[in-house]
Amino acid sequence: MASVHAVKTATTLAPTVRTLASGVPLPSRLNLNVKAPHDAHAHGHGAPGPRTDVQPRWAGGISRASSGLISKTYTSVSPSTHFQQRFISTSVARKDAPEVPDFSAYRTNTDSNRALSYFMIGSMGVISASAAKSSVSEFLQSMAASADVLALAKVEVDLTTIPEGKNVIIKWRGKPVFIRHRTQGEIEEARSANWKSFRDPESDDARVKKPEWLVMLGVCTHLGCVPIGEAGDYGGWFCPCHGSHYDISGRARKGPAPLNLEIPAYEFSEGDAKLTIG
Amino acid sequence: MLSRLSAGVLKNAASSGAKKTALGARSSVRYASSNASASTVDAILSSRATLASASLLSVGTIAWYTHLYGTIPFVGEVHASHLSDEGLHPPSYPWSHKGILDTFDHASIRRGYQVYREVCAACHSLNRIAWRNLVGVSHTSDEARVMAEEHEYTDGPNGEGEMFQRPGKLADYMPNPYPNEEAARAGNAGALPPDLSLIVKARHGGADYIFSLLTGYIDPPAGVEIREGMNYNPFFPGGAISMARVLFDGIVEYDDGTPATTSQMAKDVVTFLNWAAEPEHDERKKLGIKAVIIFSTLTALSLYVKRFKWGPIKNRKIIYKPPTDH
Amino acid sequence: MALSTTFYNAFFRRNSVYVGTVFAGAFAFGIGFDLGVTKFYDTWNKGKQWKDIRQKYVQESE
Repeated sequence: MASVHAVKTATTLAPTVRTLASGVPLPSRLNLNVKAPHDAHAHGHGAPGPRTDVQPRWAGGISRASSGLISKTYTSVSPSTHFQQRFISTSVARKDAPEVPDFSAYRTNTDSNRALSYFMIGSMGVISASAAKSSVSEFLQSMAASADVLALAKVEVDLTTIPEGKNVIIKWRGKPVFIRHRTQGEIEEARSANWKSFRDPESDDARVKKPEWLVMLGVCTHLGCVPIGEAGDYGGWFCPCHGSHYDISGRARKGPAPLNLEIPAYEFSEGDAKLTIG
Repeated sequence: MLSRLSAGVLKNAASSGAKKTALGARSSVRYASSNASASTVDAILSSRATLASASLLSVGTIAWYTHLYGTIPFVGEVHASHLSDEGLHPPSYPWSHKGILDTFDHASIRRGYQVYREVCAACHSLNRIAWRNLVGVSHTSDEARVMAEEHEYTDGPNGEGEMFQRPGKLADYMPNPYPNEEAARAGNAGALPPDLSLIVKARHGGADYIFSLLTGYIDPPAGVEIREGMNYNPFFPGGAISMARVLFDGIVEYDDGTPATTSQMAKDVVTFLNWAAEPEHDERKKLGIKAVIIFSTLTALSLYVKRFKWGPIKNRKIIYKPPTDH
Repeated sequence: MALSTTFYNAFFRRNSVYVGTVFAGAFAFGIGFDLGVTKFYDTWNKGKQWKDIRQKYVQESE
């Protein structure tokens, strides 16, 4: 048997770049930071910014050193424990969970439901506004006087017990109220006075609802004392504190009082028999 | 939507739990050498001597505790109590105002006021009800005014600084039968008749309890001793009540011709007292109807509007179209 | 469809009309709802309320 020897031929190609002793090629003319040439069909990708085909510097990349080209990749070391485990059930393709969830419950046909949608939103506005309105009005009502206060705020007076020419003082909301059953002479006196020249001009007509009944708050308009009845220069009331004189219609005539005695709201009921103040 | 969401949440939770257990299982790998020691521990734990000493220890601890404190630990006080101490639970009666939409029966309130005025008011006050409260509920304004004027009230001071008596007005509150608590106790053998304004709210069982109490007076059963001056009523906690039975057939005569039986009067006066405790009752239920309707409608509408607003967002599909070379 | 379009054109096309309709509707709804609930409540509780038994006690002379 003749032994066959294969003829081995070794050829050494001349290197295209200079090679270091370690065998690493050293391309001295290679510019790694050159931008890609402008491409009309590049759709605007990458032309002005960094090259998209070169990984960013923070992720490693190629650098040139005296020892040659160095390619580095910075990667985070993956944790040694298994954070993600695959179970048999998850590896099987699930037929009931397609990739696109079923959104049919959310799908609205905006064209055909347009009027309905507006109607629904409008209805919500209507009911909300109604609820808000009654909330506000109920809240405001809660600030009004309560029923027990209102019940005390009215006072009834039996007028039949007051003889002509007499004063009666009653209490109403903590203040005295003067009720005078005026005589005919007093009415004429009150009417005949030249009221336009008074300090607080007011006619007797405007101060009484019925001429024989004069109803006033018994609080002096000067500093709030209670005037004395059937006294003073004008036959009406006289305030002892600072000497204000009121006439038989309760008008300020003399002294420091700036205004006439105040008239509360009152009503006659059951003919002339009863007077309701408040 | 909801079912899908919750399923996803469940899946996440389950998988994270599974991870933890998997990690735990990994960290507690058992080796052959530990098997032997585990069996030794098991043997010690399940031996008779251990059982006996543990039993002895616990019995001894309990005994020592009992010796020290006189009671067995961890066991509540044991009392020889009797059901009568709690009072009989009243049955549930079909009050005309029981349903959520039902108002008071105002004719019954009117009759009940009559019973209160003629029977209860001899001992019980009704402090929080004024005459004006009856107006528009059970009496007209004129009737209430006439009733108020039958009572004298102290008012004042007048111009001379004296207090004076005057007939009642609508604004006055119901008069008290006794001037003060001491007088009330003295007049009732030491027992204070409670104010009835809020009695329906103030007692367990409410209207049912008071009706049962008023109609529940019976002779004490064998073996129950009732002190002199007390009365037996199984619905009253303890059984012995100072108030005697007051409602007997025909004790009042109703204006509207209703037969005044004991149970009829009890029903009427309890309806009246229930009104006194809850004068706002009718308005409250009416407002309740309105609120339920308004707010349930608003809830439904806001669900619709939420879907309407979220529909396009949930339906949105994000597609990446890579740049094409051509 | 035609009805809904009519509705849309009548009330929803302009926001001012829409908001105006909502507020006017709230006003009308408040009154109507009150009346409706009161009517139902009175029917449900017929003969029990004070207004049902009032005429028995009011003297007509005054």
